[in-house]
Amino acid sequence: MTLKKLDNHPLFKFLRDNPKATVGFILIFTIMLLTLGAPMFTRFEAGFRSDQYRVAPNSVFILGTTQLGRDVWAQTLYGGRTSLLVGILAGVIAVTLSTVIGITAGYFGGIVDGIITMVINIAMVIPQIPLLLIIAALMGGVSPMLIGVLIGFTSWAWGARVLRSQTMSIRNREFIYSAETLGETKLRRLFAEVMPNMLSMMSSAFVGTIIYAIMAQATLEYIGFGDPLSVTWGTMLYNAQNTAALQTGAWWELLGPCLGLIVLGSGLTLINFSIDELSNPKLKAQRIMAGYYKAKKAEITYTKAGETE
Amino acid sequence: MNYIFKRLGFYLIAFVAAVTINFFIPRLMPGDPVQMYMAKLYQTSGKIDAETIAAVEKLFGFSKTKPIIESYFEYVGSIFQGNWGFSFSQYPLTVIQALTRGLSWTVFLMGTSLIISFLINNLLGIVAAWRRGSKLDSFLTVGGQLMANIPAVVLALLISYTFARSEKFGIFPAGYAVTPLFRPANVLQYIGDVAYHAFLPVTCIVMLQLNGIMGMRANMINQLGEDFIAMGRAKGVPEYKLMISYGARNALLPVATTLAMQIGFMLGGSLIIEVVFNYPGLGKVMIGALDSRDYPLMQGILLMSTILMLSANFIADMMLLILDPRLRKQGR
Amino acid sequence: MSALLEVKNLSVDYITLNGAVRAVDDVSFSIEEEQSMGLAGESGCGKSTIAYSLMRLHRPPALIADGSIKLGGRDIIKMGEEELRQFRWDQISMVFQSAMNCLNPVVKLEKQFFEIYKNHGITKNRQEARARAEKLIEIVGIPKERLNDYPHQFSGGMRQRAVIAMALALKPKLLIMDEPTTALDTVVQREILQRVYELKKELKFSILFITHDLSLMMEFCDNVSIMYAGKIVEQAPAQTILKNPQHPYSYGLKNSFPSLHGDIGYMEGIPGSPLNMSRIPRGCRFQDRCFRAQDICFKEVPPRQQRGNDFYDCHNPMGTLTGSRN
Repeated sequence: MTLKKLDNHPLFKFLRDNPKATVGFILIFTIMLLTLGAPMFTRFEAGFRSDQYRVAPNSVFILGTTQLGRDVWAQTLYGGRTSLLVGILAGVIAVTLSTVIGITAGYFGGIVDGIITMVINIAMVIPQIPLLLIIAALMGGVSPMLIGVLIGFTSWAWGARVLRSQTMSIRNREFIYSAETLGETKLRRLFAEVMPNMLSMMSSAFVGTIIYAIMAQATLEYIGFGDPLSVTWGTMLYNAQNTAALQTGAWWELLGPCLGLIVLGSGLTLINFSIDELSNPKLKAQRIMAGYYKAKKAEITYTKAGETE
Repeated sequence: MNYIFKRLGFYLIAFVAAVTINFFIPRLMPGDPVQMYMAKLYQTSGKIDAETIAAVEKLFGFSKTKPIIESYFEYVGSIFQGNWGFSFSQYPLTVIQALTRGLSWTVFLMGTSLIISFLINNLLGIVAAWRRGSKLDSFLTVGGQLMANIPAVVLALLISYTFARSEKFGIFPAGYAVTPLFRPANVLQYIGDVAYHAFLPVTCIVMLQLNGIMGMRANMINQLGEDFIAMGRAKGVPEYKLMISYGARNALLPVATTLAMQIGFMLGGSLIIEVVFNYPGLGKVMIGALDSRDYPLMQGILLMSTILMLSANFIADMMLLILDPRLRKQGR
Repeated sequence: MSALLEVKNLSVDYITLNGAVRAVDDVSFSIEEEQSMGLAGESGCGKSTIAYSLMRLHRPPALIADGSIKLGGRDIIKMGEEELRQFRWDQISMVFQSAMNCLNPVVKLEKQFFEIYKNHGITKNRQEARARAEKLIEIVGIPKERLNDYPHQFSGGMRQRAVIAMALALKPKLLIMDEPTTALDTVVQREILQRVYELKKELKFSILFITHDLSLMMEFCDNVSIMYAGKIVEQAPAQTILKNPQHPYSYGLKNSFPSLHGDIGYMEGIPGSPLNMSRIPRGCRFQDRCFRAQDICFKEVPPRQQRGNDFYDCHNPMGTLTGSRN
């Protein structure tokens, strides 16, 4: 009885209808469980050093050890915590910035919009990696959190652009006009009418930015931007590279961080697909089309419509 | 042509913005880059005289006597005159000289990848839209998106390990753009060697761009719902032509406008891929600059890659102008 | 007179997330040669779906579920891809709802004419096609030099004229006009329609005219079919529908438009909103909105009252209100 109830719960229905979201959530949940609950899955600390240098995976060291005798599996779990945290931090900063900037431009229009759009366009053509590199070079070794902050402050442009055009299209819809005639203040309308309609867009931008931030972080740390003593997936790759893991065939040193980054990125990507699907009727149409093809196959009497298969 | 002038004006502003960032970032940072630079210069050349100090101050636009506005304009002026200073890790090469070699390889790598990924993405996007709702469609869109969201480093490392270094499949070179000390007998041999070295890096960049499939697919589907497609079909235009010269031709227009963003992501990715594949492009120069804290060279890389971005955008604009008659009319 | 187009028991389904919805349900009608028939009804009643189905241009997720569509004895539903391609535009052509969007924006007008000739094997010669296009486009009142222009360089009315010129390029037997002038202002509307009807006399084609504007229809059509919720509920000569409609829906539709020539009377409109096609009630489909509905209307599907080619489906028709039905 309770099982049946659970089965009809909207959440389960949602997951059943959205296999992509389900897989995505499972991947993210796995990563969360493994990293946040790291002590449950490894008996080594992140900083643990054994006297076995660069050994291949075995029963003690599930993913082998590094040149310095560190356990790759433990580092992967603990490093994932930092990587995740940095990604979320950068995501929060970037989405906050892009929301404020994008909505301001889209909502107020006119010269405000003109100036902000110009800034957005400029921000989009100035390459980010070299820019971050200069900042990092001037600051010396950069802690993972600071990397997160820097990424957050340099990757808002894309989200701002998307949110700006979305705001504009919502603003031009009738209900905003009707609110205007009712004499609500601009600011109140902004929060009461526009924001709720942007939520799915914002969450999609948020997830997208987290993906980007995690990628950027790994990239920056890999080229030696970060603090090599901190344990993250990016610095693990950096250390593996610096100790010539690739050249000596120690593939296991790369496996942990690479898998972690791929699984995390894939999980978030799949979730983003479902968010888009919820907010975008065009993607829903795709499922109708799947039904259409089925119906067409099933009933031979149906006549070919005006489109090619 | 109004449109072109508008775009050129924007590029100029964007470039000046990059120069401005270059000028102000050192001022916002803790530490004194001039001191850092001096120390480094002292290490390499052994002596520093007053003349050098003045030159260095001018180079960075740091001066204790001049007002900041004046130094700013001097700095912008010298950048536009092509005076980007000296690289101190490769002294006495100027920054521009140090960049040129790497630049040509990066342009080659990115240009090739851009053309290939443009063809692949748009073709697959058309196919996905054509068979929308099918398994093939899901495979192409989801697969492309997943591929594009793998960090460039990870993909490059995995591919480099598997196809360049592992014993079983390592049939490609693990570094360089041409075989060192290679004496090609003819041009074809040289081209072959270059292609052989570029194959893996280009593959990586193209794979990371596969999210373009989804963009083209969405545009295509938008276009296929338009009435002019139905009218074309009614007129008796064959289906393949409807897809190509009606649907795809119009779906390409928004693709061209989002190219700016795509190139931005691509540049970041390809710099890293160069590092992994030890490819002698700007990315390699960048790593060198970072290792030796060659500050002027890093600034040069930012400016140079901005120029790269702007040129790519300009090409995209020109393409759009050719493709869309409505823009031409505006331009008149 | 023999029937040019014969539609029998046509049903079209739309596939939705909750299964198939029948948008056109068991519709039959015919159009005689050189005749002009009007198809009227509210938006969403299935009239455009019929128009598109006649050329098998219905878009996914629409599917023709049943029926036959015969033009000059050939069943369009049974045609193969290539046969169909050749058939379209040559026998039936169509003026689409939105003139603004039905021309390819990146192709010059001249080439859009050329495509017609090329794809139907008339001529592969650009000059010859140009000469033919010039003749056509002057018929609809556009200077021939403008063939060199792109669609965005034309006004809405001109674009619609250009589309009409294209529609007549192969001298089709039937011209479908799917709300051809809704986007245009009234003056341009009438001008264009008048020109089309002059051309009809000259070139001797039949017309299927689809609109929700009954007054316009009365003026230009011989016969009128009134559609409601996927079914034709009444079919009669235009004058009959105008003066003596039988179905309460026809009556309501007639009264919701001002007549251009008649007296200015009280416009009643029809209460309620169009039927939700995924929830079709027992009995008559118009029951909820009908001012003459009786008990039986909620129980039984109204029988067809046929007289010659004319018919109506109603339990409680309007009867002879303003004159006798002939």
